[in-house]
Amino acid sequence: MQLNQHRSALLMLAPATALLGVFIIVPMLLTIGLSFTKWSTQTGFETASFIGLQNFIDIFGNTSVGRDFKAALINTGLYTLGSVVLILPLSVLLGLLVHQTLAPGGVFLRTVLFSTYMVPMIAVALVFSKLYSPSEGPLNQILGWVGIPPQTWLSAPQTALFSIVILNVWQQVGYFTVLAVAGLTQIPASLYEAARIDGANAIQRFFSITLPLLGNTLLFSTVICIINAVQVFEPVALITQGGPVNATNVLTYHIRRVGIERAQGGTGSAMAVALMLALVIAIAAIFAFARSRERTE
Amino acid sequence: MQLFRAFARASGAVAALLSGTALVQAADVSFLTHWAPDTVAKLEAAAAVYSASHPDTKITVRAVPFGDLLTTLRTSGGGADGATIAGIYDAWLPDLAKDQLVAPAPEATAADVTANWPAGVVSAASAKGTLYGIPNEIDVYALNYNKRLFAEAGIAEAPKTWDEFLAAAEKLTDKSKGQQGFGLINSWAAGVLHPFSSLLVSNGGDLVVDGKPTLDSQAAKETFELYEKLIASGYSDPSMATADANTTGPFLDNFVSGKTGMIIMANWWESALKAGMGDAFADIATAPIPVGPSGDTARSISYSWMTVVNAQASAEEQAAAWDFLVWLNGPESTPEGAPAGASAMGDILMSMGILPTRTSDVAAFSERLASDPFLKGYTETLAAAKPFPTVLGGQEFSESLQKTLEAMQFGQLNAADAQATAQADAIEILERNAQ
Repeated sequence: MQLNQHRSALLMLAPATALLGVFIIVPMLLTIGLSFTKWSTQTGFETASFIGLQNFIDIFGNTSVGRDFKAALINTGLYTLGSVVLILPLSVLLGLLVHQTLAPGGVFLRTVLFSTYMVPMIAVALVFSKLYSPSEGPLNQILGWVGIPPQTWLSAPQTALFSIVILNVWQQVGYFTVLAVAGLTQIPASLYEAARIDGANAIQRFFSITLPLLGNTLLFSTVICIINAVQVFEPVALITQGGPVNATNVLTYHIRRVGIERAQGGTGSAMAVALMLALVIAIAAIFAFARSRERTE
Repeated sequence: MQLFRAFARASGAVAALLSGTALVQAADVSFLTHWAPDTVAKLEAAAAVYSASHPDTKITVRAVPFGDLLTTLRTSGGGADGATIAGIYDAWLPDLAKDQLVAPAPEATAADVTANWPAGVVSAASAKGTLYGIPNEIDVYALNYNKRLFAEAGIAEAPKTWDEFLAAAEKLTDKSKGQQGFGLINSWAAGVLHPFSSLLVSNGGDLVVDGKPTLDSQAAKETFELYEKLIASGYSDPSMATADANTTGPFLDNFVSGKTGMIIMANWWESALKAGMGDAFADIATAPIPVGPSGDTARSISYSWMTVVNAQASAEEQAAAWDFLVWLNGPESTPEGAPAGASAMGDILMSMGILPTRTSDVAAFSERLASDPFLKGYTETLAAAKPFPTVLGGQEFSESLQKTLEAMQFGQLNAADAQATAQADAIEILERNAQ
């Protein structure tokens, strides 16, 4: 009986496991394998020649290959940090706004916020590239009305990456607001009532009830936000091409440039492996941090 | 017996029909380009004319932005299902040929090209002595300037030397109007590199000689210093210089709207200027690149484009593709309204303000070329132009130098450091790619 159960479980798991194996595990293992080779992406795998750790030495070295990779890694880190730091608090703030029942329009606001997430990136990129235009863009014109001098936005290395972060925040905040609202609905109203009876004000209720009980939602949001941010590609490819001075050259775009445009498949694979490891370490660190906080509480 | 004869006749007819069908093998030929929709329409019209006399060949045209062209070629373009024909930039050829993505031209086509195109252009369409493509356009760079802004600044004529160029840039710069003297370009490799390289060759220098970078020369030092001077003096504003994936953007907008006095650009952007400026296009004039202190004559770099055939396509598709390309680039394809002897490709190129390369096209369009005041600054430079180096790792070399020049534009590197970085990176990249 138990053997039959095992067999049927294996049978039912087989299709999903096979799909995972073919489409996720095999490509990952292949990428890891290729990262130790010299290989042109335009030729068959049989032409790849083993070169040990040379690709990893190159991408962390001081030649232009290493400098560009390290700069792209830092750009990706800054972009991710900026996105998480802006999106998460904003999503909680907007979540509270649309979740409240004191004033009407919460559902409408939620719809408006979520709609930005549904706009195709090509349209967002086209609109933002015009909004950010330093000489004729509406943003600088609006700033001019209130006496703020024109900003360089995408046209200077100091501001270009942050401008792309703003674009990402604008597009993604609605999605994370919906997640925050889902978390808020899980908090029992009785807790707020009890706190109110005990004389807690709104700020105390937020920090003592809302924020701690949103912990799991925020953990999930943080992980998804990081994964989304690390995978940023379209706005860079469509608007800045990684410039100026590689200020917006993020890793996904750089890997495409190295691995596809220059056909340096081995080097590109090493970069992809390094990105994957960085992502795994970051996510593991976040979970470890969350677990340690749970223990201390 | 009669029945047998009828059967034999019918069998013979079927066999004849079948063998005829076997001789006429249908071929689907796809043409990948980065041209704009109106130019694509002209190419499609030419393909329709060809297909009318070659019903067995079906030709489709696919266009992608310039910024995506190489990636498309490298991904879908190189496979058996990729485009049969692609228009490519000559700097990409050595790498594409090395990876066997492009097919060598058949002997007859190679002989036709060698006989009908200038040797320099044939050489740019070849790698290691083998011809891979049919050349079509050649692009050179010239100083584009706004005559209205020149008149307002009291400048009588286009600068011929770097001293005159700097003096003009100073007079044209007016920060109160948001106006810059000379427009740089950034965020686009060719847009950054080609104007710099044109100033370098006009100063007697070179980027690469015999496969070795020569950015450590005195001529290169002076060119880096010229850029530094333009930026430090405020004659060029890098925040007005951005380009996007379609090779348009603020750098073009600022020139079109009269906020940039001078810029160095290739002849192909004539159509973009006309579209953006309308009647104000009459304000634009062109002149050869100013000569630097170490230079002897006005020069520009040149680069060419060619159409190549996918090496992974079937033999029938390759044969049909070469046949179409020979027709498209030959005098048999003269479209209506084009001068006698002109090819359909020549007519398409001229519609964009691009100089054709086939000797018979240059002759056929000679009157039009001579009478176009915009192209004058380019045609004057053509004879003295130096081809942009085509080397293995050319794309990586271009992107590396682009980054260094942009770092200088934004004050992250001074001229001396930029020169040293550019030379060191170029040596490392070219040596690594040559292995």
